[in-house]
Amino acid sequence: MLALVVSHLLVALVLSLVSMRHSRAIYPVAALPPTAALCWALAHADSVLAGSPPVTRMNWSATLGLEFAFRLDTLALVMTLLVSGIGVLVLLYCRWYFGTPSGDAKRSASLLLAFAGVMFGLVLADDLLTLYVFWELTTICSFLLVGQSGVSRESRRASLQALLVTTLGGLVMLLGFIVLGESSGTYRISELAADPPDGAAVAVATGLILVGAFTKSAQVPFHNWLPAAMVAPTPISAYLHAASMVKAGVFLVARLTPVLSEVSYLPVVTAVFGLVTMFLGGWRALREHDLKLLLAYGTVSQLGFLMVLAGSGSYTGELALAGMLLAHGAFKATLFLVIGIVDHQTGTRDIRELSGLGRRMPWVTSVAVLAAMSMAGVPPTIGFVAKEAAFETYLGTGAVAAVEAGIVAGSVLTVAYTARLLFGCFASKRGAVPTEAHPVPAGMLLPPAVTALACLVLGVAYPLTDELAATYAERAAGSSGEYHLGLWHGFNQPLVFSAVTLFAGLTLAAHNARLNLLRSRLPRPLDAQRGYERIMGSLERLAVGVTGRVQVGSLPTYLGIILLAVLVVPGSVLLMRVTPIEQLRWWDNVLQLPLALVILVAAAGVVRATRRITAVLLVGVIGYGIGGMFIVGGGPDLALTQFLVETLTLIAFVLVLRRLPARFTETPSARRVRLPKVLVSLAGGVFVGFAALIFSSARDTPSRVSAEYLEHAEEGTSATNVVNAIIVDFRAFDTVGELSVLAVTATGVASLVLSSRSARRRKHARSDWRQLSATARPTAGEHGERGSA
Amino acid sequence: MSELVAVPVLLPLGAAGLSMAFGRFADVQRWLGLLVLGVIVVDAAVLLYFADVHGPLVLHLGGWAAPVGIALVADRLAALLLLISVIVMFAVLLYSIGQRITDYGRGTASTTFHPIYLVLCSGVSLAYLTGDLFNLFVAFEIMLASSYVLITRRTTANRVRAGMTYTIVSLSSSVLFLTMIGLVYAATGTVNLADLALEMGELPPAPVRALALLMVIVFGVKSAMVPLHFWLPDSYPNAPAPITAIFAALLTKVGIYAMIRTQILVFEREPSWPLMLTLAMATMIVGALGALAQNDLNRMLSFLLVSHIGFMLFGLGVYDIAGLTGVILYIVHHITVQATLFLVSGLITRYTGTVALSRMGGLAKISPLVAVLFAVPALSLAGVPPFSGFVAKLALLRAGVGVGTVWAQVATAVVVLTSLLTLYAVARVWSRAFWGQVREPEGDPDPSDELVVGTGDTSRGMVHATGVLVLSTVLVAVLAGPLAEVSQRAATDLITGEAYRAAVLGGGSGG
Amino acid sequence: MTGAEPPEGWPNTGERTWFRSDAPAERWLLSGYSRDSRERTILLELIARVVFPTVLVFSLYLLFAGHYRSGGGFSGGLVAGQAFVLRYLAGGRLDDSSTVSMRPPVLIGTGLTIAVITGLVPVPFGGVVLESASFTFAVPVLGEIKIVSSLFLDVGVYLLIIGVVLDLLRTLGSGIEADIAEREGGRR
Repeated sequence: MLALVVSHLLVALVLSLVSMRHSRAIYPVAALPPTAALCWALAHADSVLAGSPPVTRMNWSATLGLEFAFRLDTLALVMTLLVSGIGVLVLLYCRWYFGTPSGDAKRSASLLLAFAGVMFGLVLADDLLTLYVFWELTTICSFLLVGQSGVSRESRRASLQALLVTTLGGLVMLLGFIVLGESSGTYRISELAADPPDGAAVAVATGLILVGAFTKSAQVPFHNWLPAAMVAPTPISAYLHAASMVKAGVFLVARLTPVLSEVSYLPVVTAVFGLVTMFLGGWRALREHDLKLLLAYGTVSQLGFLMVLAGSGSYTGELALAGMLLAHGAFKATLFLVIGIVDHQTGTRDIRELSGLGRRMPWVTSVAVLAAMSMAGVPPTIGFVAKEAAFETYLGTGAVAAVEAGIVAGSVLTVAYTARLLFGCFASKRGAVPTEAHPVPAGMLLPPAVTALACLVLGVAYPLTDELAATYAERAAGSSGEYHLGLWHGFNQPLVFSAVTLFAGLTLAAHNARLNLLRSRLPRPLDAQRGYERIMGSLERLAVGVTGRVQVGSLPTYLGIILLAVLVVPGSVLLMRVTPIEQLRWWDNVLQLPLALVILVAAAGVVRATRRITAVLLVGVIGYGIGGMFIVGGGPDLALTQFLVETLTLIAFVLVLRRLPARFTETPSARRVRLPKVLVSLAGGVFVGFAALIFSSARDTPSRVSAEYLEHAEEGTSATNVVNAIIVDFRAFDTVGELSVLAVTATGVASLVLSSRSARRRKHARSDWRQLSATARPTAGEHGERGSA
Repeated sequence: MSELVAVPVLLPLGAAGLSMAFGRFADVQRWLGLLVLGVIVVDAAVLLYFADVHGPLVLHLGGWAAPVGIALVADRLAALLLLISVIVMFAVLLYSIGQRITDYGRGTASTTFHPIYLVLCSGVSLAYLTGDLFNLFVAFEIMLASSYVLITRRTTANRVRAGMTYTIVSLSSSVLFLTMIGLVYAATGTVNLADLALEMGELPPAPVRALALLMVIVFGVKSAMVPLHFWLPDSYPNAPAPITAIFAALLTKVGIYAMIRTQILVFEREPSWPLMLTLAMATMIVGALGALAQNDLNRMLSFLLVSHIGFMLFGLGVYDIAGLTGVILYIVHHITVQATLFLVSGLITRYTGTVALSRMGGLAKISPLVAVLFAVPALSLAGVPPFSGFVAKLALLRAGVGVGTVWAQVATAVVVLTSLLTLYAVARVWSRAFWGQVREPEGDPDPSDELVVGTGDTSRGMVHATGVLVLSTVLVAVLAGPLAEVSQRAATDLITGEAYRAAVLGGGSGG
Repeated sequence: MTGAEPPEGWPNTGERTWFRSDAPAERWLLSGYSRDSRERTILLELIARVVFPTVLVFSLYLLFAGHYRSGGGFSGGLVAGQAFVLRYLAGGRLDDSSTVSMRPPVLIGTGLTIAVITGLVPVPFGGVVLESASFTFAVPVLGEIKIVSSLFLDVGVYLLIIGVVLDLLRTLGSGIEADIAEREGGRR
């Protein structure tokens, strides 16, 4: 199974590298892997229905719990029929839709094929993390497919919106998966389904996972990315946003229903969100003039319906879901492809401009009518069969009846916008000029015709559909039921509901214009698109605000913050919990007092100095004072080195000061922050002093290491000067390291000081080289990635 | 056998001297640099194998046993990070050589670049391999001194000024580091890391905690932890692309490594460290928000770097084996990905002539190769499966969920949010620079410095080097299984610390 | 030939030029010779000339005595460096080859190489990196002499420090002066 998935991706890669000359053949070639997948799935259909699904496992990283686990069970079979079947048809359709060969066509082919492969992997996944991997890959493919080459602003915005909304859901879902996996100890779905976990962690995980499902399947309030994504070419919309990708959320809920069976609120939440989405989608669809947008909102509405069914958890509900999945895939794909034909042949998708197409394109119209019948739930299509099952599921009282009422009302809206679609697209309108249309190539009509026929066939041959759906429903709901999908169950409530729905929907459609007039007078409620834009806008403002405030660009501020961090974090710990120091001596040697005084006075003087040379000399005094402290403290080597280094530093300073102005230049704002700077530095110095006191008094015994140095110096290193022994023997490596630091620093200083002159030389050298090489080399060739698109 | 531990440190130093002597011969310098780095890659691989199979390999320098002398220790963590770092250094060197040949011709060479680069390599290796706190300071000094030179050489006055911010902040943090070492020695009487762990046990708790926090601050400055990160976005973007790539990939990670090594080896703690988790959350958010506010491509990448340091701090804050496994995996992933992104950014600036995203457009048409070279590491950084970023992020998320405390759960949510923001930032770059109308490249505004823009010229060396790194990121994902196992063993070693201490203090001169 | 100002045609930049045979080989010791037209302090120059060799010898003493009394490679190198600083302060720019025979980067490189080699030498002999050994041998007049291998590390340190100080003088000293001269001269 992994091989089949990977073959999709490999062929996609090869296709993207193939040259332009063969671009006509690209789409049929691209249709090969999904065909293979479809055939393979059908070949295994028997074992799947019998209850022994084929399984593949491959380890990726056992430590992290990552493995590729695939399992072809009934739900996967149903989805494969949709994904691979419609995939083949869409790819063949694309050959005629993308007329002239172009980079767009090539890219779309490989991306569509890659998407088909990734979606195929998603439906087969038997491991939560495998599922997530393919989930995110579909998001990326969708991003690239919607954006195309990103030339228009709308396509860029739409693809970004889709990316962000679905990734937000995806990441939250990942968190849910991890919570679920960690608390139950396994990530494998089949194992989880066999032994459903329960507990608070599972409840939390369910909520998180539902967020993911809702974003992907465009439930309210995440639904706006779907209509926005209609900027993509129609075949892409047909495939991604009608037949496969958006179903992923519903599929996920269906897949995890057995796993999450202990979570009681799952059906409630899915029902609520699903119904709201169903209403909102249908309501918006009645207002749209663009056929694609109409269908998009229709898809949103249908997804809501599917979500209600997916979360139901009952046998009949799951039966209805399987039927509805097949039905929706079939009729939605047909309608999108038909609209693509209309758009391609007439140049417009606006129902206000279209008229008389029914007479000009009779075959197209009949295909569309067949699909529309399925969408509206007219017998004998599969749409009718599935809807009957759905109505049957929610027969009852109380909350269940409310849901029933909801789906009936939603179906009314569905019929209404279906009628609006049909009439708006194909009817001859009074007083309108018939639209011009180019003749339709047969190959372009074939794919939608196949799917439309499927709508009919699946309904008429309902025993077949029933067997497929029943096997799935049994496993999903955990129990069997008596209901069977069929065309005639007798005069019962579902039949009445269907009839009522048809009648009410047609009436609504007839009065739609008046309704729209009323609507335009009403105030506009919350708009999800505006909400999304507002959120993104405030995110940008927040980012700029925070960064502008925080990233000040002032070096003293940065240093001050570092010092403050040192003061606050370790300093507070020291202050709060330290014990008083015993045996505190004020000095060891009286001479330390005047030396300390000199150092302190010099330090204060540095702060107050106005001339640079004064400050430098005072720093030198501090250095010499410290050297004096070393002498008094009994470290002649240290004192010697200190005096020498201090002298050298002073000389270096003085040499550089020749180039600087004599006085410090201080802006008035800098003068204002002088006091805080002094205070912070003072606090820092005091902290270090105190810390030194506290830490030195923390131990009573002298250092063991020092004792060993003194002991081993004579015989181990033949030295009587321990300091030197440490530098060149015990810790010689430090010396070698510091030598390299000195070497590097000297080189760096040289490079800095001497660089301004060489900069000019370099500029001329480079322009000479460019002229030389430009005449010598061809302009394309090894450097030419340009122009090879 | 234990001499192999000294090779990554001493060989580049010697080669730097030679390279300086042969400063007039460009080809000699180039081949010497590549050869030395190649040898070190092999050596690091051998060290990793040995450390994984037999335990830490210790070299007592000068023949003096620790804690009297300095010990170089190659355990799993050090060897793994060393291997990845040197591979990246090799690729970046290839890129620099390619860039130099494109801009100035094959004959000329800069006398100082190659020796300084080799010294930088030596410093990085020493930082990973040393087992002594003062030696760690020396290693940082070697690394930082080379970086000061690399960031300020051959550029204009404005860029030197930006480099000065970096230099002065680093010097200040080095002063703090030295102060901290002095305080540590005053309190414990030793600077050997293994020995420190033992000595710390004998001190009262308040000074121990203060020392731990001081170490967090010092290494936090080096690794650009919020609120000590300000120097990074102000200084990194102004250097040439390969220099920024090396800095971003290595210097901050050495800071993180030092933080991990000192905190875990020396101090005792329970899982879920609230202070570190808070700092990690702040770093992630501030970095991500900063990246979203930028129009300059390099500055945006610098802010993303800061943000992802937060991920590693998160793993450290979780403070158990799973968390540390995640950190190690994340460091390995991030070193390769961040270096690649900066190299690709260099390629992008050469094609478009600008670093401002608002002035770029249509690059995917001009150069599909650069588009792919950008897309792979960018998706990996954003944590999209099946790339390395996803694998590492998964490890971190599992650790965060697994440890179970409230702080950890909040921080895990922040990790998820930051991932989303990173994806948004990266998608924005794609949308602005690679999609859209094709724009004419702008000319080079300042031909006198080493940053060449707008020419569209790239040599095979540059593209191949970037390609090698992109392949490495893919390899990290493919080899996630073995890598995760090694990381977990390294993490276990770290937490228990017994093997390390026994090898350094107990066994004498090791392997 | 001596005089208050240079003869006609005397170039302002440093290069080898003619002088009479009784003039000293060290050009900077020439009284009256002034490369830049600036003030000269006779006292400073005299003391510098007298003290320079002594300071160098003292630095060598510090180098060799470091292992047993105060001193060592760092102190020795710094003292030698100070001698050159004194000469620079007295005599002006030092970047022509007659005054300093070795370029500072070469000195630096040599010092570093000696240090690294001293560390690596014990390895072929079966020792550890940077291991030290002491050799005692008898010399007829002076008696027993003991040399420790870490002395060579000190020598490397010594050379490197001298190189660093000379480089400092070359860049911060002469380099900055050249910049100033260019600015004032208006030459580009």
